[in-house]
Amino acid sequence: MSVVGKQLNPVQTNSAAVAANSTAAAVAAGSSSEVNNANAAAAVVAAAAAAAAGDAKRKEESNVTPEDVLRLNKITDDYLCSANANVFEIDFTRFKIRDLESGAVLFEIAKPPSEQFPDGLSVEDTMLAAAEDLTLDDTADPNAGRYVRYQFTPAFLNLKTVGATVEFTVGSQPVNNFRMIERHFFRDRLLKTFDFEFGYCIPYSKNTCEHIYEFPNLPPDLVAEMISSPFETRSDSFYFVENRLVMHNKADYAYDGGIIV
Amino acid sequence: MGFLTVLKKMRQKEKEMRILLLGLDNAGKTTILKRFNGEPIDEISPTLGFNIKTLEHNGYTLNMWDVGGQRSLRSYWRNYFECTDGLVWVVDSADRMRMESCKQEMQILLQEERLAGATLLVLCNKQDLPGALNSNEIKEILCLDDITTHHWLVVGVSAVTGEKLLSSMDWLIDDIAKRIFTLD
Repeated sequence: MSVVGKQLNPVQTNSAAVAANSTAAAVAAGSSSEVNNANAAAAVVAAAAAAAAGDAKRKEESNVTPEDVLRLNKITDDYLCSANANVFEIDFTRFKIRDLESGAVLFEIAKPPSEQFPDGLSVEDTMLAAAEDLTLDDTADPNAGRYVRYQFTPAFLNLKTVGATVEFTVGSQPVNNFRMIERHFFRDRLLKTFDFEFGYCIPYSKNTCEHIYEFPNLPPDLVAEMISSPFETRSDSFYFVENRLVMHNKADYAYDGGIIV
Repeated sequence: MGFLTVLKKMRQKEKEMRILLLGLDNAGKTTILKRFNGEPIDEISPTLGFNIKTLEHNGYTLNMWDVGGQRSLRSYWRNYFECTDGLVWVVDSADRMRMESCKQEMQILLQEERLAGATLLVLCNKQDLPGALNSNEIKEILCLDDITTHHWLVVGVSAVTGEKLLSSMDWLIDDIAKRIFTLD
C-alpha cells in the first residue's frame, strides 16, 4: 500500500494555514528509552493544566518554561498560551514530510502567498472565508489556526527514514533564542520528543528546517493499536522565544487512511 | 580528569556537530545542502534567512546551517557563529568577477574569534560549468596556503553532478571528530 497523508480539517485562510507540526512523522517514531520517563512529573502536568484553565489574560503572561513542557507526561488539555502571545509574528508557511528511501513527498501543505485562497475553494467559500476574516475577533474560533488533524495510511508506520520540513517567516523584529519543543503521544505513552534551538532569526526572513531521522521499530501490537485508534496519537508543539512561550500548536493523527471498514 | 576532558566526554556522548555553510550569494550553498540530503535541486530560490538540516551521518548528528549570502544578509552571519565545529565556504568557481570579494569575506570569517576552532572546508562549486576555475586556481586566489589558524581543505565539486561532494563532507566530519571527540 502506498503512503498517503492528508490534512482533514479545513485549511484556515487567515492564521497559520500550516499549524506546523514540524515532525508529524514523529508520531510513529517511538523510542523506548523515551517512553520510560513519562512518570516523572505528574505535578507539573497538574500545574500546567491549571495554568491552561486560567483566563486568557493570565495565559498571555504564561510562565510556562521549556523545562515544564519537557516534563509533561500527556497531551495538554488546553493551550498553554494565548493565540495572541505570538508577538514576533512567526508564521508557519509550509510543512512537508518526505520518505528518504524512495524520495517521495508523502505530505505537503503550504500557505498560499499573501492572502490568496487555496485552489479548489468555490467563490462562495472564498467570500465566506473573507467575511469571517473581517469579523475574526468577534466570531471566529481563536484556536482555529493552531490545530491540525492528519490522516495517513497504515504504511506510514512502516517507513524507515523520513524528513520533516517546516518553513516559517518572522516579522519586523529579530527573534532571539527561538526554540521548538514537540511532544508526541499515543494515549499517555510518549513516543517522541523533539527539542531544537533555532537561535537567532533575521527580521523579515524566511527560514526552513528539516529534521531527518530514522523510525525506530515499533512493536507490532502498538502499531496495530495506533491504526485502530484514530486520533489518539496526538502532539503538542511549543515555541519559545527567550524562554517565553509564544506559540502552542496541537495536532492529532489517524493511520487508517485507505482502510475500508 | 580535567575540565576539558569532561567537556570532551560530554560532546562525545552527544556526537553532535554544527556545520555552517557560508559564501557569497549564488555560490550554491542551498543546492549543496539539498544535494547532500538527497532532495531535488531543480527549484531553488535565494535564501532570505536560513535553511537547517539535522541528520544522522556516519554515526554523528549533524546540524547543518545554510545562511543566505546576499550582501544585506552578511551582517547577520555572526549570529550563527556560536558553537560552530565546521565552516564550509562555498565558492562559485565560474564567478571570476567576484573572486576578490569572495576572498575578503572569507578572510573576515577566519579572523572571527568564535570560529577559531572550526575546521574549514572550501568547496569550489560549479566545476561542471565551462570556464570554472579549478580548485588549485582558487586556492591561489584565496591564499589558502597562508592559513595557519584552521585545519582546511579545498575541493572542486559540483552540486549538480554531486561530484566529490560526499567525500569532502566526510573529510570535514572526520577532521572535526578527530579534534573534538578524541581524548588524547
